[in-house]
Amino acid sequence: MAVINVDALVGEKTDQQLWQRIRKGDEQAFTVIFEKYHRTLYNYGSKLSQNSAIVEDAVQDVFIDIWRLRNNLTDNVISVKFYLYRALRRRIHLARDKFPVTEEITLLHDTETPANTGNSETSLIDIESASLRAKQVQNLMSQLPGRQVEALTLRYFDDFSIEEIAGIMGVSEKSVRNFIYKALTSLRHNRGILLISSLIFCLLGLF
Amino acid sequence: MTHDPYSLTELIRSDEFIAWVMHPDANNNERWRLFLENYPEKKGTIDAAREYVILLAKDTGRDQPIETQSVRMWNAVESQMHNSEKWHSNVDEPAEAERVISGWRWLRVAASAVLILSIGSVSYWFYCKQGNGRVSLSAGNKQVAVNDVIQKYNATKKPLTILLADGSSVVLQPGGHLSYSDVPAANRREVTLTGKAFFEIVKNKERPFLVYSYGLATKVLGTSFMIDASEASKEIRVEVKTGTVSVFSINNLDKKEIDEESDKPELTGITLSQDQRIAFSKDNGKIVKLANQAKGAVVDMDILKQGFVFDETPVHEVFETLERVYNVQISYDKVKMGNCTLNATLIGQPFREKLEAICNALDAQYEIKDNQVWIVGKGCK
Repeated sequence: MAVINVDALVGEKTDQQLWQRIRKGDEQAFTVIFEKYHRTLYNYGSKLSQNSAIVEDAVQDVFIDIWRLRNNLTDNVISVKFYLYRALRRRIHLARDKFPVTEEITLLHDTETPANTGNSETSLIDIESASLRAKQVQNLMSQLPGRQVEALTLRYFDDFSIEEIAGIMGVSEKSVRNFIYKALTSLRHNRGILLISSLIFCLLGLF
Repeated sequence: MTHDPYSLTELIRSDEFIAWVMHPDANNNERWRLFLENYPEKKGTIDAAREYVILLAKDTGRDQPIETQSVRMWNAVESQMHNSEKWHSNVDEPAEAERVISGWRWLRVAASAVLILSIGSVSYWFYCKQGNGRVSLSAGNKQVAVNDVIQKYNATKKPLTILLADGSSVVLQPGGHLSYSDVPAANRREVTLTGKAFFEIVKNKERPFLVYSYGLATKVLGTSFMIDASEASKEIRVEVKTGTVSVFSINNLDKKEIDEESDKPELTGITLSQDQRIAFSKDNGKIVKLANQAKGAVVDMDILKQGFVFDETPVHEVFETLERVYNVQISYDKVKMGNCTLNATLIGQPFREKLEAICNALDAQYEIKDNQVWIVGKGCK
């Protein structure tokens, strides 16, 4: 299984190599990068704007810019993936200039862990059914504020580190941790409702 | 208030824990195994946290583009590329440009239509337990214009597993190129191959499966076999692993004759059964049966050597085998399922059928996305 780590290294190196080739005008390298990242970029963009046309345009523009400005691309980009995500976020930000930057940051500092952590933790663990958990997470996503969903996406789906996420979102690492923490806390509250509704469902089934 | 770093919420957001769930390796496996040894009461929490991490990854990745969107985006990018090309065109020396383009041309064609369409583009989730009515590769397929051809090119150094809409799988070797119609024909399944690939085809007598490579057609009703149709080689080789395959030259046939030959419900031409091999000369179209013994001379393909026979085999070994030969990553709950063993012979079955069989045996569910497979099960007693 250690192989996977080696793969990750190789993958990183390949991105770098592709980047160097793009700088020299290699279309094939450019195609590979597009193919590799455009879907996850679109996925991320969809968390920033509900408007799929805006997201598509932004993804396109990120790649068009790279090709257009390839002669001036920075030589030693640390992570191509990170560069792409940050560029996409700026693009979408430009497209909808009233992108909320301050709205949720002010909310961040207040709430702390709810008092009844112990109890809800236990019952959260007790949810046995995988489908119930899946439903619960799905419900949660539809209710969370945008930036929490954004942070969760970058962390869990795109596998960025907290530091990278902070860089992409343009906030402090503490804020990123807060986004994620608050989202996970909502998971706990959300759970109660689901459990009750499924209980009612079961009871109805009895009659 | 007291702070438990191993509470559910803390685990779900712990970098170390996420790394273990997403990229398990010997080190972190050991670390969490030790942890559970010391705190066995945490097992439930760990299991739940792991499941939430996987669910979060899955759910936040739901918004990927459908194929038509991918194509649209690529087309927009490509048209801009070549606009800007005009401004720069006098920079390149002509001779140099010529050479680059010839190697690159088909790739660009592939890319504009399709590179995009393929493998990863379709995110689909399905479960073993919904066995009836296999989920087709993509609901989006039908929206795409008729006759769109999907092209896959393996530009990597590792095998690439391609899942076809009928459930068959093709392990395309590095440098290989496979194309097929987006909208399957009613009476047959067809793909075109250059390079090497290993095929595991779902049985369907009503719809023969045909592989065209240069002048050779390979026809099967359901089986597994390898084709080596490398561009550089003068010969094409076909080697059968399970079932029966027929091959015929299409060099001297016109379109109608090829159709007739392809549609015949029986296998005609030269038939090959298990472990038999032929070589087809691209030059003169002759097919020669090869002796069985010279094994290994033709192929260095991991999957061709693999017997897929599991006898009381621990699941981690089963999954490692699948990971290696299909070049996928399989995530599963090592704690819950680590003790399970498997008895099965899965030779010749397409990748999905293998997963289905394994999941049935383990009472588990699986999900595939790109080259990632997640398996969730309750484990074994």
